[in-house]
Amino acid sequence: MSESHAPLTAAMFNVLITLADGEKHGYAILKEVEEQTAGEVQLSTGTLYGIIKRLLSDGLIVESRHRPVEDDDSRRRYYRLTEDGRQVAVVEAIRMEKLLARARSKRLLKAFKPA
Amino acid sequence: MSIPNESFADRFYRGLLRILPFDFRSEFGDDMEATFRQQRVATARRQDSMGIARMWWTTITDIVRMAPREHVSVLAHDTQFALRMMRKNLGYTLAAVLILGLGIGANTSIFSVVNSVLLRPLPYAHGNQLVILRQQATRAGVTDMPFSVSDINDYRQRNRSLSAIVEYHAMTFTLLGGTEPHRVRTGVVSAGFFQFLGVQPVLGRTFEPDDERAGAVPVLILSYEFWKKQERGDPNIIGKKYQMNDRAHLVIGVLPAIPQYPNENDVYMTTTSCPFRMRPAFIANRGARMMRVFGRLKPGVTLDQARADLGSIAGQLEKEYPASYTEKTGYGIVPLALREELTHEARPLLWTLLGAAAFVLLIACANVANLILARMARRERELTIRTAMGAGAGRLLRQLLTESLLLALLAAGVGIAFAYGSMGLLTSFAGQLTPRAREISVDGWVLGFAVVCATLTTVLCGSLAAIHTRGNMAASLKDEGSQSAPRASRSLVRSALITAQVAFSYMLLIGAGLMVNSLIQLQRVNPGFVPQHVFAVGVDLNFTKYPDSQSQRMAARRLIERIQPLPGVLSVAVSSSFPMDADNVGGGRPLRFRAFGDNRPDTEMPPVQSVRRVTPEYFRTVGIPLITGRAFRDSDTEESPLVVLVNQSMARRTWKNEDAVGKRITFDGEHFMEIVGVVGDVREFGPREDAPVQLYRPMMQDPFAGNVLVRTAADPELLIPAVRRAVLEANPESAVVKVKTLDEARSEAVASPRTTAQLFGLFAALALVIAVAGIGSMLALWVRQRMREIGIRIALGAAPSDILSTVLRQGMVLVALGVACGFGGALALTRLLKKLLFEVTPTDAPTYAVVSALLLAAALLACWVPARRAARIDPQTALRTE
Repeated sequence: MSESHAPLTAAMFNVLITLADGEKHGYAILKEVEEQTAGEVQLSTGTLYGIIKRLLSDGLIVESRHRPVEDDDSRRRYYRLTEDGRQVAVVEAIRMEKLLARARSKRLLKAFKPA
Repeated sequence: MSIPNESFADRFYRGLLRILPFDFRSEFGDDMEATFRQQRVATARRQDSMGIARMWWTTITDIVRMAPREHVSVLAHDTQFALRMMRKNLGYTLAAVLILGLGIGANTSIFSVVNSVLLRPLPYAHGNQLVILRQQATRAGVTDMPFSVSDINDYRQRNRSLSAIVEYHAMTFTLLGGTEPHRVRTGVVSAGFFQFLGVQPVLGRTFEPDDERAGAVPVLILSYEFWKKQERGDPNIIGKKYQMNDRAHLVIGVLPAIPQYPNENDVYMTTTSCPFRMRPAFIANRGARMMRVFGRLKPGVTLDQARADLGSIAGQLEKEYPASYTEKTGYGIVPLALREELTHEARPLLWTLLGAAAFVLLIACANVANLILARMARRERELTIRTAMGAGAGRLLRQLLTESLLLALLAAGVGIAFAYGSMGLLTSFAGQLTPRAREISVDGWVLGFAVVCATLTTVLCGSLAAIHTRGNMAASLKDEGSQSAPRASRSLVRSALITAQVAFSYMLLIGAGLMVNSLIQLQRVNPGFVPQHVFAVGVDLNFTKYPDSQSQRMAARRLIERIQPLPGVLSVAVSSSFPMDADNVGGGRPLRFRAFGDNRPDTEMPPVQSVRRVTPEYFRTVGIPLITGRAFRDSDTEESPLVVLVNQSMARRTWKNEDAVGKRITFDGEHFMEIVGVVGDVREFGPREDAPVQLYRPMMQDPFAGNVLVRTAADPELLIPAVRRAVLEANPESAVVKVKTLDEARSEAVASPRTTAQLFGLFAALALVIAVAGIGSMLALWVRQRMREIGIRIALGAAPSDILSTVLRQGMVLVALGVACGFGGALALTRLLKKLLFEVTPTDAPTYAVVSALLLAAALLACWVPARRAARIDPQTALRTE
């Protein structure tokens, strides 16, 4: 059932990044993606759960049995990265970094000096 | 699970989720709702109405966009899985596809005929408004009297219900201009004939009113087939001149490849080009009736209104021309829908065959449902485990349905291939029944039919199996092993399916048995002549070269002189026609004769249905016995007294027990002919029809050389080329129309019942094989599932014969039950076949006995194999395998 060779979309990568620091439920993912991209990426529930289904079936995330105690809604499900998922996210981040480096070396990104 | 106080927005969102696949919803639905609620509340708190609207917009469009993708992905997954399962059970898959394929194929092929012949509209403009007009003289027993020119003109001028009336008659002329004289079938039509049918030419033009003026240049339109075959599709054909009837005819157009009604013709000409139709004497004679007439109903006019309208004109004509339309004959005219007219003969037969094919499909369905159930028994634990692991029941059901749908689609493919393959056979079969046969094709409707058949089959087989499995799912886990005895409910369903298969097979076998029996009766009928070693050569004398009796007499003499001396010829005769000649159909206008001294009025005179002109050797050549008196002699010439021979039917009907020989009769009241002998009855129009009232005249006194008949010592085929050559040498510029042995003619006369019996037999055989294989495999499974039980019984001392009889009983009880049901069904249904049967009643006891014996024997054989295997079970092995 592995389809892990399929390329990651930007939205999928965003979701993986969001889950990098621990398990979260659906709305938390939506909110964080929106906040961290300063409102540039706004996922709808449909898009988000389409991605979650893909990531689940690819084995990049799993449903987490561990739930924060304060959570009241029992219907809410939490997701966390698997080791595979973390690997894929890291590989993707490195790939993007290399791309970015090339873009910089061509002086495409003059205005955006790294901090 | 609606929650109190739930907002409208949340309920709306839940509704929206329903367009997603069931699986997706059941996995993420609740979670999505929760997430959406939070998102909605947060958005409402933080953003203006634009922001809220934007959120709704993206939510709705995203879900609508992803729904089809998700459905496809589920379907693809199911299909992949189903294919994997099918590959794993290749034997089962092949068996199911083949059985269903044959069932669907049988139906699809017959439906392609039903569709083309009975359901599709005529391929002409406003085909459903076309009518054929029939003049009738009901009291004289004439239902199809042709029209004279005056008849046509009067109806054309006076009617108010038809927007057009066109005429048609067929002739055969000899066409000169090619390498050898060519006989062409010629349709002679009104100028408006092709506009009437809405036919556009592929080349040139169709007829115009000017072409039908008296004295117009003779013009021809070629049929598509003639153009392609004789002229090799020459694109410059327009303007070519043919010599025909001693006049030059100009080609003005080529018809498209459409079915031609009422006959197939090679060329068409207008009425003023036909040398018979154009004669002033013919035109003036109200009684010279030769043409057929077609009309088109005016928009909004019904057939009944047209009938009333034309009927009133018939009444007027009767008053105005009492000599031509005598009231005593019951003169009248009826319009008949052309479509009905062209298909009424084929209708009962085709529906019967479709019914038979439907039975085959039902049996195939029952069989495949059983196969699926049997396989379910083996897959039960797999399915149960999948359920236990969380696969929804709906999901499993759909998985099973996907499997059977795939199966059915494959089967539909087999079925469509089958329909394509059988097209040639079916077209020639239907050609015996209806001129629409050449329209038969596999079109969208037929493909649709095959797919609908397949889908229904799926629903029938798949859901039966699936629903059944669902019911048993829970119980399954409790079972200790796969070889445990199956639960009672399932074996009940399977037993019912077997019984149904046997019952339907029995009914089909009875139908086939009756048809075959009827065919045997038909072939047993004594035709009244000896067809072996006789052949007929159809001759068409070019009538412009043989215009009168004298030249025709000479032509006949020359034919005999040329052929008689050929080695191997026993006898030769020239005649107007021969028994069971397909071109010599019955009906038409019966001739009436008057016996000398009979003073009854004309209309009460007895009819004679066939008058044949023959040379003296005809009776010896064809093998018709002389009963009393003498046959014709060479001395019966144009100068000697007029003589005739009559058949037994005519003698018996007219003179009862008196001797007919020596009696004198007349057709015209003037010339009396003496009956010099009585000959045996001949079934002229096929074994199904009684011998007609028939009379023979000597060729020399009434010449018409249509056929040469030759009786040979050896195989007639060997002599045909020499005779054919001799015919052409005897009369140059005449054409050989056809060559046929009388055996062939006789066989063709029963071609339609034979094909029906063959198709029915094929369906029945198919059904029998499927049903018997079904019984065998069910019993084999039954034995396999009871290995341990049987092993224990043998270990406890049961004799092999006990085991054998137990297993046999298991199968044969179902078979007996099926036969009983089938017997009842057959008694009820075979009544529908009555019209198709010849001298066999639908309850023919011998047929029922033979079919029952056959079915029981086949079933016994099928049960015997697993029963014997059961009886030979080694108890140790059986117990060890557990």
